[in-house]
Amino acid sequence: MTRRFPWARHAVLIVVSAIMLIPFYWVAKTAITNENIYAWPPRLLPEAPHLFNFVDVWYLIPFPRYLLNSIIVSALAVIGNVVLNALAGYALTRHFPAKRLVILLLLSCMLIPFQATIIPAYLITARLGLLNTHLGLALPLLSTIVCIFIYKAAFEAVPRSLVDAARMDGLSEWRIITHVMLPLSKPAIATNVILAFIWSWNSFLWPLIITRDATMQTLPLGLARFLSYLEDTTGALYAFVVMVLVPGIFVFLMAQKEFIQGLTRGATKG
Amino acid sequence: MSLRWMRNRWVVVPGVLAVLISGWNLYVAANANGQIEGRVVDQAGQPVPGATVTLFNRSFITNEARARATTDALGRFRFEDNTSHAVQLQAEAPGHGRGERVTLRLWFRAQDVAMHDPLVLATR
Repeated sequence: MTRRFPWARHAVLIVVSAIMLIPFYWVAKTAITNENIYAWPPRLLPEAPHLFNFVDVWYLIPFPRYLLNSIIVSALAVIGNVVLNALAGYALTRHFPAKRLVILLLLSCMLIPFQATIIPAYLITARLGLLNTHLGLALPLLSTIVCIFIYKAAFEAVPRSLVDAARMDGLSEWRIITHVMLPLSKPAIATNVILAFIWSWNSFLWPLIITRDATMQTLPLGLARFLSYLEDTTGALYAFVVMVLVPGIFVFLMAQKEFIQGLTRGATKG
Repeated sequence: MSLRWMRNRWVVVPGVLAVLISGWNLYVAANANGQIEGRVVDQAGQPVPGATVTLFNRSFITNEARARATTDALGRFRFEDNTSHAVQLQAEAPGHGRGERVTLRLWFRAQDVAMHDPLVLATR
């Protein structure tokens, strides 16, 4: 059917995409109006749209501070992920005693939800003196097991002869990673950057636990706080939601090609 | 030196954004003196001298009176020290009564603005 009617496949995909985008459209529409979201019948098009809700959010709450905190924490998480996961992923491509046990341990750790480890994570962070700091906020997200395996799959796809040639030329293991492996694994890096950014950007529970004052809060915490003391400001609330969403969508759009390549490569070679 | 590395979306897009943000901040810095100018007229459209205009700072849930100005012989008023991005203005004059509060939403704090529509007195 799809060969004879390629437009039918596209039409179905367009309809499904439109249905999936309706919630996003509704958030954006409410953000640029002051409409009551419970009004019936609902209006499909915004009435008297304006952007002043965004200005209100920027000035009436410490939005720039939340934004700065989120950017710092996400940057730390992304840098930590790229460096530490690449090192771990490379180590897993080498042979060493009990390698299978280490892989099994990592895989089994993936089954444990973060909520179950939050108390030891808190105690370790407190012992390190990192409570209520940006580094403390980023600490549990500095390395993620899923991304270690994405790097492992990407590094294993690099021809063995290339690594051997680099080693014969006298390159150290560190330089093999930085000069051979990473330049040939851009999709894996992009995947890691996107996942680490989105996970840290949307993180709520960990920042809620370890922040002590409002100046260290990140955007998701600010959103919850905003919701708790300003209930009757629907337009501004949705404007806040849009302002939280936009950076994540922006990073995804920037790296989507490599992201999809990285995921598919991991799926076929892992 | 080759500049090919600059033709990369990871350089171009953040660069364009940085330029736009810098330009916007320069514009804000040049136009954030807190000046609000306008006129007060009666229902016949005639200027009202000696009217008192009150400026309220608007937040999500409160409106607080912050400053007052008096109109000149041509019904014009001017505030010099607005610090808010959302204000309300209300005019009042003996013999004319009080006008409705007019909300003025600005694009940034202390934006200089000349009101296009005058404040009209004796609407209630």
